[in-house]
Amino acid sequence: MRVRNPRRMMKWVLIGALGLAGAYAVLFGVVLTAMLQPPGRFGQFMKRVPAGLVWGALPAPRMWLWARRGDLAPGAPAPDFTLPRHGGGGDRVTLSAYRDHRPVVLVFGSYT
Amino acid sequence: MPALNRLYRDYRDRVEFYVVYIEEAHPIDAWQLSANLTDDVLVATTRTADERYQVAGVCVTKLGIELPALVDEPDNRVERAYTAWPDRLYVIDRHGVIAHKSAAGPFGFKPADVEATLKRIVEPAPEGTQDSRPH
Repeated sequence: MRVRNPRRMMKWVLIGALGLAGAYAVLFGVVLTAMLQPPGRFGQFMKRVPAGLVWGALPAPRMWLWARRGDLAPGAPAPDFTLPRHGGGGDRVTLSAYRDHRPVVLVFGSYT
Repeated sequence: MPALNRLYRDYRDRVEFYVVYIEEAHPIDAWQLSANLTDDVLVATTRTADERYQVAGVCVTKLGIELPALVDEPDNRVERAYTAWPDRLYVIDRHGVIAHKSAAGPFGFKPADVEATLKRIVEPAPEGTQDSRPH
């Protein structure tokens, strides 16, 4: 195919590439901002956005691991808490009660 | 969950284990997953302590969790303190210090890393005394 005006064509290719890069940057920023929100708000965001766009078009797993890295690090004191034990008939468990006695494994999660 | 149940059986004579039930990852009123629709795993966001306690029970039963379970408060205070959503693993040593923190789930949820930490910080069970009773 013969190109009549190569400079004009290059201009449009450049405009298209810049447009795509801009759209990608906006998508990246919006999704990362959503990932930094509390879980409930992120869930509402994901309800409205096609999951394929997030997990397909972006390096979403790496973004997620960064956004949810948290403040705690190995070597830091574990934040204390007291929570009800399921099936414990009103028993409550305090993490610090195990200090100087036993290590504790905490498995955080939900049903879904 | 089978890997964590096995770890629990192997170490529960020397280590305390707790599942901490937190805010749902994919409730029907937010980010519902098609896989959950297929599997009939349909749970709404829990708003009260009673609702959360009830769904925690379903979770423990349906997922075959042998570990004892705690239930986070509706204000998600423990989830926030540990940046635990949607799932995450921690090992706290006997001095109350974090010995292992997994990366955020689902990508960072690796029970094998918990086992490696336990092997490092927990004395091996004396020969023949390992507690392998079913729960």
